[in-house]
Amino acid sequence: MSTGLDSIFDALADPTRRTMVSALIRDGSTSVPALSSELPISRQAIAKHLATLDDAGLIERLPGSGREVRYSLRSEALAPASAWLADAEASWDARLARLKDAVGGGPGGRAR
Amino acid sequence: MEVRREIEVEASPEEVWEALATEEGRERWLEEPERQIHIESHDAPSRLTWWWVSQEQPATRVEFEIRAVPHGTRIVVTESAPSFPLAQMAGAFQMVAA
Repeated sequence: MSTGLDSIFDALADPTRRTMVSALIRDGSTSVPALSSELPISRQAIAKHLATLDDAGLIERLPGSGREVRYSLRSEALAPASAWLADAEASWDARLARLKDAVGGGPGGRAR
Repeated sequence: MEVRREIEVEASPEEVWEALATEEGRERWLEEPERQIHIESHDAPSRLTWWWVSQEQPATRVEFEIRAVPHGTRIVVTESAPSFPLAQMAGAFQMVAA
């Protein structure tokens, strides 16, 4: 799991790429021309950022979109994030239950 | 991206503080030997923040809010992965995919 997470972390460490992912969530798909209307950077720079997101497995090229290459989010791309959230929640529930036992009030209580 | 959990315990805030803020206290419940704790800030007995660092996973920040309630103490813990700002994206994406 850590490999997938690392490349997603790296890809999303950049604010421009986060803006691109937000645009994809909003619009469903996007392209270099569409992004260049809302980002103050060159089309070349946009293409490079898209390639980074593609390498991280966050986005994919839509097939058969003709002359203009369009991208969409990969549905499985955010699975590591969901997994992290679910794991962190379950882990804290277990830790807090042990903490409760440790400070009293749990099974066995606490002699006072 | 963060998770927030809470629990009420039948103990005083000072007892809870001892279990959270001292190594001896944490040994009784935490069970995370592979993650190093770096305390960011402490304000006994009500607020404690640490960073968790390990080889396997990205660093996370853990914050505890501790406050007295009528029959004990309420503990609210928030763990966040600041370099992983995907919470709202994941939420939005699930709505789009639904």
